[in-house]
Amino acid sequence: MEIMRLVVTGPVGAGKSTFIRSVSEIAVVDTDRRATDETALLKQKTTVAFDFGRLSFGPEMALHLYGTPGQSRFDFMWDILIQKAHAYILLVAAHRPSEFIEARRIRAFMRQRSPVPMIIGLTHMDVPEAWDLENAAIALGYLSTNKRPPIIAVDPTQTTSVAQAVITLVQHSMQAHLMPLS
Amino acid sequence: MAVTGYLSEFALAELFNFLEQGNKTGLLTLCKLSDDQLQYRENHYIWFNQGRIVAAANRLDQHGLAYMIGQRGWLGEHTALRVAQTCDVSTPIGLSLKNQGLLTVEQLKLLFYTQVMRQVCTLFALKDAWFQFDCKAPLPFAEMTGLNAPATEVTLAALRVLKDWSALANKLPEPTSAVMSIIEGKPQQKLNQTEWQLWEFAKGTISLQEIAQQLQLPLEKVQQIAFRLVTAGLVEEVPLVTVITAHPKPEPLPMESAVPEATMLSHSFLHNLVGFLKGKV
Repeated sequence: MEIMRLVVTGPVGAGKSTFIRSVSEIAVVDTDRRATDETALLKQKTTVAFDFGRLSFGPEMALHLYGTPGQSRFDFMWDILIQKAHAYILLVAAHRPSEFIEARRIRAFMRQRSPVPMIIGLTHMDVPEAWDLENAAIALGYLSTNKRPPIIAVDPTQTTSVAQAVITLVQHSMQAHLMPLS
Repeated sequence: MAVTGYLSEFALAELFNFLEQGNKTGLLTLCKLSDDQLQYRENHYIWFNQGRIVAAANRLDQHGLAYMIGQRGWLGEHTALRVAQTCDVSTPIGLSLKNQGLLTVEQLKLLFYTQVMRQVCTLFALKDAWFQFDCKAPLPFAEMTGLNAPATEVTLAALRVLKDWSALANKLPEPTSAVMSIIEGKPQQKLNQTEWQLWEFAKGTISLQEIAQQLQLPLEKVQQIAFRLVTAGLVEEVPLVTVITAHPKPEPLPMESAVPEATMLSHSFLHNLVGFLKGKV
């Protein structure tokens, strides 16, 4: 079985769960882990939930999608996810500039732990307050169009838009294998 | 397209970083918010040229600088404006007055300090304001000394003297995060001693709380210094993996044990996947 694992990450409310739900062939699994060691007596649950979706496209071929927890205190979970991923998409709500700083934190975390290819998906671009693509790119720290990953607008509620985003990510991964990008 | 928002969402320090990094030219308007609808709404205007601040005022009639010159008794306000009108319309009034021997370079520096550095620095204390950046606004030559300052230099100066950081509390780097340099070589900006000390740790490996211990500085102070370096475009915050000690250890996740490390995918797999997804587009 050949499996490609994509991580969908981003700040809270960027549309990660919706993104996975729009393209997954199975109901998205929302994982909630229970503590098993002695400290479980003190705290019953550790909420390290992440979303999981799957897309099979052949008898031995599948795409697995993992959504990271939206809050940075779950860093260890992100670490596990990114170490196993082939590529990731960073979703950023373009109408919430307050979250740009968190998106940069997430990207820095990911970049330090894994060199896998990534793209940025700007969501909520239809909202009047949304920043346009070029300004959002600058606010996310990408100053040169030549030295940045693909940045696309994506509507997580639309299967076609999500599929297009995944195509962009896969194609970028294919290029990255031929010509590694910084 | 105008960029708009609220400082409570996108802080002035972030905004200045954005405008400098994007080499933006235009007018930034800050509209102070007031609970009292009847109260006079105070606006502030800051003009940028290629990411550098060239002028600031709380009026749009372009008489602000002439008024300041008149206040100091260096020249009558009306005289300054009249002289400016006779000069090249695309030359800052300050330069015109200097070229005619009516103002000295030192006087221009003082004017710029008062008009830009002092006035803009006070805006960092605003709890909130609505902002708009209009990249189509023309440069206000009658409001300009001819001097300018990089936006992040103003940010550094303003944040060094900022007393109340409550509005920026949720913007500060986490105590468990590290900072890592995002520039080549050493900073060109003039840093103070503590900023240099933190800069020496900007390798993305040591958390701010450990740095605070090593430097024997309050953690909050180190977070503030880190924020200054972030908004000056020198470093980025890198969250470190949280070591779970006080929290319960979770069950292993299915993918931890069952899924192997990421292996190379075949080209046929990737082509099939793209073909399959294209059917959904």
